Amino acid sequence: MIRCEGLVYEYPDGTRALDGLDLSIERGERVGIVGRNGSGKSTLVRHWNGLLRPTAGRVLIDGHPTEGRRVAELARLVGLAFQDPDRQLFARTCRDEVAFGARNVGLRGRELERAVEEALGAVGLADRAAANPYDLGPSKRRLLALASMLAMRTPVVVLDEPTMGLDATEIARVTVVVAILAADGRTVVAISHDAGFVAGSFHRVVRLDAGRVIDDGSPVETSASRV
Amino acid sequence: MTLELRAVSYRYPGYRRRALEAIDLRVGDGEIVGLVGPNEAGKSTICLVASGLAPASIGGELAGDVFVDGVALRGIPVHELARHVGLVFANPASQLSGIAGTVFEEVAFGPVNLGLAVPETVGRVRVALASVGIEDLAERRPDRLSGGQTQLVAIAAMLAMRPRVLVLDEPVAELDPEGRRLVGEALRSLAGAGTAMLVAEHDLDLLRSLDARVVAIDGGRFAVPA
Amino acid sequence: MTLATFVLGGYVGPTVLFAAVVVPSALVAGVLRRVVVGSVLVTLPFAIAVGLVSVFTRPGSTILFELGPFEATLEGADFAARVVVRLLVMASALALFGLTTPPRASVIDLERRGVSPRLAFAIGAVVAAVPALVERARDVRNAQRARGLDTEGSVRRRLGGVVPLASPVVIGSLHEVEARSLALEARAFGRPGPRHLPWAPPDTAPERLARWLLLAGLVALVAASVAGALPTLP
Repeated sequence: MIRCEGLVYEYPDGTRALDGLDLSIERGERVGIVGRNGSGKSTLVRHWNGLLRPTAGRVLIDGHPTEGRRVAELARLVGLAFQDPDRQLFARTCRDEVAFGARNVGLRGRELERAVEEALGAVGLADRAAANPYDLGPSKRRLLALASMLAMRTPVVVLDEPTMGLDATEIARVTVVVAILAADGRTVVAISHDAGFVAGSFHRVVRLDAGRVIDDGSPVETSASRV
Repeated sequence: MTLELRAVSYRYPGYRRRALEAIDLRVGDGEIVGLVGPNEAGKSTICLVASGLAPASIGGELAGDVFVDGVALRGIPVHELARHVGLVFANPASQLSGIAGTVFEEVAFGPVNLGLAVPETVGRVRVALASVGIEDLAERRPDRLSGGQTQLVAIAAMLAMRPRVLVLDEPVAELDPEGRRLVGEALRSLAGAGTAMLVAEHDLDLLRSLDARVVAIDGGRFAVPA
Repeated sequence: MTLATFVLGGYVGPTVLFAAVVVPSALVAGVLRRVVVGSVLVTLPFAIAVGLVSVFTRPGSTILFELGPFEATLEGADFAARVVVRLLVMASALALFGLTTPPRASVIDLERRGVSPRLAFAIGAVVAAVPALVERARDVRNAQRARGLDTEGSVRRRLGGVVPLASPVVIGSLHEVEARSLALEARAFGRPGPRHLPWAPPDTAPERLARWLLLAGLVALVAASVAGALPTLP
């Protein structure tokens, strides 16, 4: 489903964020991506929806290279939820906010409504559908941003630090969401520093360091080999 | 008794319901108290009230009183509060002034605002940097540090105000594991030096490592008296 | 510098100023390319606007070409060109300042010269906020594109993206300002009374001399212009 071949990414100032990275993720897998800050995790996933383009090497989504395909097009396949909800929330109601992404990828009418309702329900915000996003606390806004991406119904779901700042109940919800997505046959990838969350919800952990994959296996295997 | 909230209830400006209801909380001399609870239960509100910033800076209605070493915070002007209670927030970057060229200048910002003489300012900054172990960052640019380092600068900046008690609202919630380690170490060091602290956190490991007495809040109240 | 550009008018004056003052300073500071690029980028929208308006609407006798009901005049083009040249030079002066003077140095310097600390802070904070704002805008753009917002399609589509792109930047910045204000207030920011700064930005003798020369030159220019002694350059 996601394939990176010799992926290299260099910033304009010359620093190499990704240094010939090879990675293959099959449909339906649940993969956690771990590594220190600066190891290239965020840079990597931004290649999957075209926000970043390789300096060298290539990225294939569902068998087709990302080259020449617009972000708006790739966003239908790969949903990427960013860390800071306050850098995307803009609608007057939570419902409108969640509908934004879904509408962009072409959902309409009854199908759109259902997608929005399901997404809000999945994150536990069904009763806040008519509220203004900024009337919600910061952790609920994170869940709202997650819902907005879920409603897009993308085959691949990528989460960036989904449990940061969440309390136990909220983390449990995210865990359930991951399980439901997996049961639905979707591919779920999460960047996370939360070892417990990763070990509990993902069957495979990919560890990055200095722009390369240095470890790839089950949560137990990869943490045992951690220096 | 270093910090005491007595029968505190608080309502944010513009809201009808109270965020805190009949709160009694004590932090003794040199004691570390951990505050846990679900999000939106009142942890941040208690931190704001304990520091006096609520209502002095953000307004709202406070019933009951907050005492620091017997002095009531009610009525104390905002710029005098840090002498009694220092507050550190979860987001490291938004606590910095944004106009300091070096970490030293950033930490000096507070003492300079207090109108202290230059030797006193310099002395306070040095002590503050040392107490969280970042003397080697003194000449670095504050905007070029890691999350954990930035948070340590924010803590040092508060310490330079010489508060009697330090209140921290989820100090490591937005940090990566390395940052958590750095800040955890610094907090342990402060605790060891006898600093009284109130730490609101989800990270139970951190609270355990501080040997904190943990109290739990939910829906604006303590289930068990604190 | 900016004032001098106005006083001189025409093409030759500003161009000479640019060559004599901005270029050497920029070369010394190593920012010449960025100054040029920056000032062109900033001036471009104005240049287009001014150009369109002046070329077609200024009264003139020499008609260059016609576009529908509008006539493009040489006088109009000439006027537009003068304005653009002035704008470019002014922009380059500002760019030079922005690129070479760290915000803190300006803030400290202002305060030392008697400007209220809060005003000095506000000025410094605004300048320092620009890169943060740019970064925030970039993050918002990435997030909305990841949600399928099409920023590469037709103009109409892109207009529909204005609210999702601008709104979070504004609201987010306001929230951040609010959080920062609280944190700074707690560090006695609003306290009245004297402040004793333990440092001062470096000020070398050549820099001081250059400043005085520039000031003197400006005064002379203004005086000469007022006295009618300035030759009318093209």
